[in-house]
Amino acid sequence: MDKRFEEKLFKVLMLASLAAVLGSLFMVIAVIIWNGAPALTFSMITQTPKGGYYMGKEGGILNAIVGSLYLAFGSMILALIISLPAALSLQKDYIGKTKAAYYIRLSLDVLWGTPSIVYGAFGFIVMLYLGMRASLLGGIIVLTFLQLPIMIRSMEEVIKMVPSELKEASYTLGATRFETTTGVVVRQALPGIVTAVLLAFGRGIGDAASILFTAGYTDSLPHSILDPVASLPLAVFFQLGTPFPEVQARAYASALILLLIVLALSITSRALSKRFMKNIIR
Amino acid sequence: MKNHISIRNVNAFYGEHQALKDITVGIPEKQITAIIGPSGCGKSTLLKCFNRLIDLTDGARVSGKIIVDGMDVLDGSIDVTEVRRRMGLLPQKPNPLPMSIYDNVAYGPRLHGTADKKKLDQTVEKYLKIAGLWEEVKDRLKSPANKLSIGQQQRLCLARGLAVEPEIILCDEPTSALDPVSSQHIEQQLLKLKNDYTIVIVTHNIHQAIRLADYVIHLYLGELVEHGTANEVFENPKEERTRAYINGTLVTDMKTDSEVNLKGNVCPFNFVYAKQALHTLEKGKILKLIVDDPTAVIEVPRGMEADGHEVLSVKQVNKTDWEIMIRKNE
Ligand SMILES: Nc1ncnc2c1ncn2[C@@H]1O[C@H](COP(=O)(O)OP(=O)(O)OP(=O)(O)O)[C@@H](O)[C@H]1O
Ligand SMILES: [Mg+2]
Repeated sequence: MDKRFEEKLFKVLMLASLAAVLGSLFMVIAVIIWNGAPALTFSMITQTPKGGYYMGKEGGILNAIVGSLYLAFGSMILALIISLPAALSLQKDYIGKTKAAYYIRLSLDVLWGTPSIVYGAFGFIVMLYLGMRASLLGGIIVLTFLQLPIMIRSMEEVIKMVPSELKEASYTLGATRFETTTGVVVRQALPGIVTAVLLAFGRGIGDAASILFTAGYTDSLPHSILDPVASLPLAVFFQLGTPFPEVQARAYASALILLLIVLALSITSRALSKRFMKNIIR
Repeated sequence: MKNHISIRNVNAFYGEHQALKDITVGIPEKQITAIIGPSGCGKSTLLKCFNRLIDLTDGARVSGKIIVDGMDVLDGSIDVTEVRRRMGLLPQKPNPLPMSIYDNVAYGPRLHGTADKKKLDQTVEKYLKIAGLWEEVKDRLKSPANKLSIGQQQRLCLARGLAVEPEIILCDEPTSALDPVSSQHIEQQLLKLKNDYTIVIVTHNIHQAIRLADYVIHLYLGELVEHGTANEVFENPKEERTRAYINGTLVTDMKTDSEVNLKGNVCPFNFVYAKQALHTLEKGKILKLIVDDPTAVIEVPRGMEADGHEVLSVKQVNKTDWEIMIRKNE
């Protein structure tokens, strides 16, 4: 085949797939804004629902916003505390080359692909056994489990990319493994670690199935970590399921709020990443 | 002359491959020792044994003893971090840490317990000055080290290594990634530093070895071929292989006056072409021949010598090609 033609064909294919991705993304966002923006009033984000389970067409979804933020940030912090040491210990300087590490990676990959309803069902059974009610705590724990494989595996990938010369430089200065890991590896991998956390956060805040039975749903704000909490994904789910167009519009407004939260976090983390970037060795 | 490092019967393996074969040699204190030898002869491996960096390589094994200040570095029970602190390493490619210029130099002292800000400031200034970098960076100590030029980065690595107050400086081809001016800079610093430190430098560049070294170790395929003072080894090598290596490298660096590519030709044609090429040259000029015919590699030099020319070197340059250097005589 003619080289020039090949080149052209390839370019067209690339542009087409790019257009498909951007186009569908744009459409999702457009539908949400189109349907949700008119219903997005000030009272939506400042009041709790009136008339039971969002059916009243009155009040707002403050309970779901607060609940989702608690759930997402709580589980993100918990998952980060567990994931970072786990990912660091999967370096070849520690257990990375062992058989155990192989099986850990394998199980994490399987868990990554496991549907979130399975996490929810599992969490529900454990909570029943322990005599726990659906609660903020339960939701946070299940969401943590949901996020762990994503965080650990994606952190591990960026940690693996840290050039061995950098570690060697630290070792030759008389640093221990631990000092090298905290002083050099984490610094170099920091922007990637931020991205990994963001990726996991996105999955955590958007997931409905895993918290359906574990975090529960309610019209009021949580007063303790053992109270059930509402959440945005479930608010969308319930409101969209009603036969009333006004309530359905409020579902889109809730989705829009969810989108804005994720957007805000993306922008902040990008700005953070940029600050960490400046010292990175390429 | 007192030895600072005594290497005794050191063998090193990467899996099945033996990279160092029974090396026994001493490295004199407060002098510059150059380790020379062709690519793959085990120079870097030897350096990595000194500071046990070889421990980080999967499947690498080392036996024998390396005695530094009465302590066997290869002994499994010693504190590796202490051994490494005593030896600064200047790598082939500068490898600044992902932090500011200041923090790069302060990294080592901080590890070893200096937390006092004022003391750190002094240390950083002192060693940046010794490495000849202070004037260029004193106004931007907080800026990232990766913004420095390659030559500056290498001097930063030198300062960083010196800041942990080692007794020995190991350099693995420290100037091969640098431009001539930066290389000269590093060489000058090393010459100054040898009053206070024992320096070991691996180099491919014979001229650099001649400029810097007091003592020379020649390795070939993992074996110790020759060692001695720079004078002995460069002026009057005991081993033919050393002479060939020194001459060979010197010739490739030498300006050739004419080059003839005889690839694809077979004997006796390449023989004839070589003769013709030499015929057109003046006496004393150097001709470089490139051949890929195995017979020519042996027959052409032999024939040219029979004609009274001087064959300076015969070297394989890649899988198929050989380079023959001939000086015209008669
Ligand atoms: N990590 C490794 N695994 C396996 N073999 C290795 C490894 N590192 C080096 N070797 C082999 O050991 C031998 C010595 O290597 P070494 O790096 O010490 O050579 P060198 O003299 O420093 O060469 P150069 O001048 O090219 O840097 C070579 O044959 C090389 O292929
Ligand atoms: Mg080497």
